[in-house]
Amino acid sequence: MKDLKHLIYFEDLLQEANNKLVQQAKSEGKYAIGYTCFFMPEVLLDLPGCFSVRLRAPRCTSPDIATYYMSARVCHYGRSLFERALEGGYNFLDAQMATETCTVTCRFQEHLQRMDVIKNPNFFCEFIDVPFKKTENSYVHYREQLRFHVLGKLHEKLGVDVSDEALMAAIEQQNEVSRLINEIGDYRKLDNPTITGYEFAVIQLVSLTCPKYLILPYLRETAEELKTREPDAKPDFRCKVVLAGSENDDPDFTKLIESCGARVVCDRYCYGAVESRQIIHVAEGQDPLDAIARHYLDASNCPRFMPQDVMRGRKKELARLVKEYKADGLIVASNKFCEYWSYERVIDTIVMKRDFDIPVCSIEKEYINAASGQLRTRFQAFVESVEIKKIQEGK
Amino acid sequence: MAKKIKNKEELKKLAKDFWYGKPHGERHLGELYIEKTGLYKHREWRGVSDTMYYFYNVWLYNYAMMVYDLIRYGGLGVFLKGVWRYRWVGQTYLTVMHWFDRGMEGMRGEVLRAAPWHYRGMVSETIRQFQHMFAADANLHGGKHNDAWHHTMAHNETVWGGIFYPWRDKFENVAMEMIPYFVTCHVNSHTVQNYIDAVQSIGLPGDPCPMCQAEAGLFVLDDMPDYSPFVITSNEACDASVSTSILQDWFLDKPLFAMPQPMQFDDPLVHKHCMNEIEECWKFIEEQTGVPFNWEMLKKHLEQQNELQEFEHEKWEVSAKTNSYPINGVAQALYRIYYSQDGDHEIWHHCDKKVRKVLERCVRNKTNTFPNTRHRVIAWSCAPLFFSNWPTWAYNCWGLNVIINMDSLMFDMTIRTDSYEHALEDMATYHMWAPMRRMAVGGMHHIFELWENMEKFNCDFVMMYDQLQCKGMQGVHGLFEDEFRDRNIHAIWMPHALPDSRTVTRAEIRRIVNDYMTTVMHEEPLDPSLLDFDDSMGW
Repeated sequence: MKDLKHLIYFEDLLQEANNKLVQQAKSEGKYAIGYTCFFMPEVLLDLPGCFSVRLRAPRCTSPDIATYYMSARVCHYGRSLFERALEGGYNFLDAQMATETCTVTCRFQEHLQRMDVIKNPNFFCEFIDVPFKKTENSYVHYREQLRFHVLGKLHEKLGVDVSDEALMAAIEQQNEVSRLINEIGDYRKLDNPTITGYEFAVIQLVSLTCPKYLILPYLRETAEELKTREPDAKPDFRCKVVLAGSENDDPDFTKLIESCGARVVCDRYCYGAVESRQIIHVAEGQDPLDAIARHYLDASNCPRFMPQDVMRGRKKELARLVKEYKADGLIVASNKFCEYWSYERVIDTIVMKRDFDIPVCSIEKEYINAASGQLRTRFQAFVESVEIKKIQEGK
Repeated sequence: MAKKIKNKEELKKLAKDFWYGKPHGERHLGELYIEKTGLYKHREWRGVSDTMYYFYNVWLYNYAMMVYDLIRYGGLGVFLKGVWRYRWVGQTYLTVMHWFDRGMEGMRGEVLRAAPWHYRGMVSETIRQFQHMFAADANLHGGKHNDAWHHTMAHNETVWGGIFYPWRDKFENVAMEMIPYFVTCHVNSHTVQNYIDAVQSIGLPGDPCPMCQAEAGLFVLDDMPDYSPFVITSNEACDASVSTSILQDWFLDKPLFAMPQPMQFDDPLVHKHCMNEIEECWKFIEEQTGVPFNWEMLKKHLEQQNELQEFEHEKWEVSAKTNSYPINGVAQALYRIYYSQDGDHEIWHHCDKKVRKVLERCVRNKTNTFPNTRHRVIAWSCAPLFFSNWPTWAYNCWGLNVIINMDSLMFDMTIRTDSYEHALEDMATYHMWAPMRRMAVGGMHHIFELWENMEKFNCDFVMMYDQLQCKGMQGVHGLFEDEFRDRNIHAIWMPHALPDSRTVTRAEIRRIVNDYMTTVMHEEPLDPSLLDFDDSMGW
């Protein structure tokens, strides 16, 4: 396939958290608000006058000082973020909007609160409590948490406009990004997709890490470009897979899978688009914040949800994605030391095969995947097993 | 060969040692062990009075009471069925008295008269619970759901028993993991390993919290009684526990209500949310049982529980301000966390009454209950369950006297009962202060309550538990290091893997303490025979 016009530019933007577009927005007087988790609604951090940056620590392979503080026995992602913060990589942040939705990212953010790490005298870090359920009590609780800890603090400390009009404008901007990402991502549903999983991962990531108003023109142009992009006459993949799992902001991991012959057609993991790029609907007369709160709880398939119907429902949802994207199998990848996904991966490995007859490749990986040789062997073996299954089924 | 008595002085000393027991430095308790097993070659001679007291009033009395409890809580038939079906019962029931011995080793006088009552309370309540599990268990009754099954509520071990007080007159509530997991690994350090291996055999990595692994492994091996029509779960409150509840659900396949503790709780908005969760849980129970909420029952048991808390405060007052506290570190820690999580039961009041008499006598007589104390120790974070008697060893060997621990301090509150609203408000706080929730994960403010408690309990030394697989505590490791240095506090990091005695052994833990005491503190052991011995095969 012909190269995408902006791909190299997008890749360049992903080399640093404080990338060119972030610097441009800062120079225009905008406030940079960091976050780590889907449950901190990015739409609220993209209110007029500020912009959201989902934190990453690209190329961090040796988080030495963070390991002193957090030990070597916690997730590499959390430690890498802290190491990058200690190195000064997040000094551009004006605030960190934090969640305790997994233990180690919580600890990372608590270190930002407790230690003088971010060299910005006005920097502050504020936590919200995120419920484990999708009940009325949880919606109301979550909404009030957002109102007090996010909108309240943004207004109080940075003077951000948090009116309903401002919220509606932020929702509209977010929805435009989502529509474009979905449009781009839908080409993965084709029998012979006109976009690779790697390219899509890069595009999705820039939409999370760059100011929306600055990345939108590039996304529009890319969506337009894809309308006429021709696929390779002979597909360069042997099967299609859904990639599910824990935190993953490394497009090279997707590239590694694809180099083994599996086209990644769907990204149901933290930083993926399945959940973060759903359209936010505000009903007539509905409080926009209420709509946002309900949207973020309803859209999530995070393994921290505990009610019986939700934990079983997310298996069905995963099976639906496999069908919708015409995938042949599922790769479930969890970061080492991620407790949520260690368990969820075990359950997925058993249940998706047993109840939905979907082949599953179960992988434990590091935040930065240095041991690619071992992973390559696993993926190649999985692709072969899927091919054999297809032959046996006469496909 | 018996040593020859050379002179009158030696004879006098021998007679004195026989009558009063050897003084602390001369006991050589480590020589009592049979190599590797941790078993005793013979019973410890504590002097005539204490040996007789321990043998008759503790050892024999508790053996008899263990049989009595079995009979009064369901009978021997039910028990034998349970032993045959579930491996955790037999492996731990028979080792209970050795667990007493480990905890009470070297103890004398008033400590010997008070601390074993705490053990007695825990044993009795454990028997009551597992006997009820077996009586209601469909697995032991040919798959039939009997009346007891229909009248029992199952829940996670960190759902406080108080949540079920409104139905106490009609239903029993039994925590799923409290006996099969939590109690067993204290009594027999090997029992739980089997469950950890089981869950890893289905693909779970080795790094998540081993407590959660063991709790999940019970279900993988089908070693959990089926004793209730529904279940109340919680997040216990860490990532691995959330996931364990989810894994358990796939095995249980029963109506389930999740009642997680909020992760950020020093916030009035969260408090309101938690109160609503408790009320939703009560609605779920009403729907499942068809029996309405009973405020009077709730109030009655909350008030009784408050009496337990009131006495706990009195105990803390004595331990903080005097040298006359007659409870050793292990009894203090285990009893407190057990009853405050389990909730109000008659046995706790019975034991407290007995302990109160000893406590008051000690205060009145100004008895120095731990005369060889060199350091007053506060133990912080999650303790090694397979070596919960380490404070006994540390006192005997080094004079490290554990005054208080983090688990004891978590539920420090009296619940108001003057109105439904006040009770609910306080119950929400209590629920949010669950084990691990208040201090090991979440807000750092509570983790660092260590400093004020050190001062309050007049401690000069910290035993900092280092649960290697607890992401919450590992995630603040460096901050504690910094604080210890800044505050110039002596602290020993005690690495362990909660119930799993294979990751860090008891011998390794002892070695770490020994090293610190010799190389940093430059102290000599009180009993050198306890410095290094092999109990790797011991219970």
